[in-house]
Amino acid sequence: MSDDVPLRRAAPQGFLPIHTNAFDRVFVSVVCFVAIHLFWMRFLEQDISLYVATVLSVILGAIIIARG
Amino acid sequence: MRPQSVGWLFMAPTLVILFVFGVLPFVYVLVISFFDWNSFAADPTMRFSGVQNYRDLVFDTGYLMSLWNTLKFGVFAVASEIVLGYFLAQLFMRNFPLKSFFRTIHTLPLMIAPVAVGATWRLMTVPGLGPIPYYLDKWFGYDYLISRYAGQAFFTTVVMDVWHWTPLVTLTLLAALSSMPKEPFEQAQIDGANKLQTFWYVTLPLLKPAILAAVFIRLMDAMRTVDEVWMLTGGGPAAATRYVGLYIWRVVFPKTDYGYGSAMSLITLYLTIVMCWLLYAGLVARRDLRKPE
Repeated sequence: MSDDVPLRRAAPQGFLPIHTNAFDRVFVSVVCFVAIHLFWMRFLEQDISLYVATVLSVILGAIIIARG
Repeated sequence: MRPQSVGWLFMAPTLVILFVFGVLPFVYVLVISFFDWNSFAADPTMRFSGVQNYRDLVFDTGYLMSLWNTLKFGVFAVASEIVLGYFLAQLFMRNFPLKSFFRTIHTLPLMIAPVAVGATWRLMTVPGLGPIPYYLDKWFGYDYLISRYAGQAFFTTVVMDVWHWTPLVTLTLLAALSSMPKEPFEQAQIDGANKLQTFWYVTLPLLKPAILAAVFIRLMDAMRTVDEVWMLTGGGPAAATRYVGLYIWRVVFPKTDYGYGSAMSLITLYLTIVMCWLLYAGLVARRDLRKPE
């Protein structure tokens, strides 16, 4: 009977130093998205457009969701 | 009807209430934060301004200063409440005469409205009328004047918050202490652990969920404190006790700048959530990154 029970695969461990599920990783991505934009507006927007921050945030978010 | 459908049916009222009173206002504030809107101005129309409110916010020294003051207030108040609350909870775990009476007296501040607490503390700290400046001057020669000295005003707001909310922490920790199993303590005793070791390796880990719950609740409350401080100091002297709730209130109500006020509210909410999450991640969800040997 026990042979029929499907084995559960261990959740892959990402680079974030905490145990995460998909919601946690989306949450961290949103937090990073906002933080990067606020930081950019305060310190970098005079020289570099805010769209660069958006692109960087989206890339970082995708990495966190995929591999965090 | 399928059991799953029955479950959703029972959940429906809660979900509807949550959506109407939780999600919808949040979305509304989020939308307004991208607009320039002052409904009492000569031109009351809403104008889309993109992230301009957020751009203004990161350069607003008044807002940033109020955030810093709120953070200091939160750290001092919550840390004091947790330490005091723990000792009081341990005290109420022991038996002594009139224990129930003192426990009831101790929880009385919780029943008082924050506005009344602020007004009471205001009366107690008014020079020439209140007992606090009178006795501090009489016994220690200490010049206590919260309308002039920023440091005194700040610490008075912290003490007021501690006085008001420590009973909540005490009750939370008392409940946790009462429900602790005896076995780990007996095992620690058999192993020869002293009191400090028992506290550090047994009591504290068992109390961690209750402490975290108390910290989260009090930290969120401290980040949005308005009424008590408004009654006590009015945000002064200068802007020493103008915590972020007071600052937002000034922008939203007297100035009726709804767009900017919404942006500030959202960023304050964001910082509160991030702080609580960092605490949670650091203390509960942390993963040991060391590789097994």
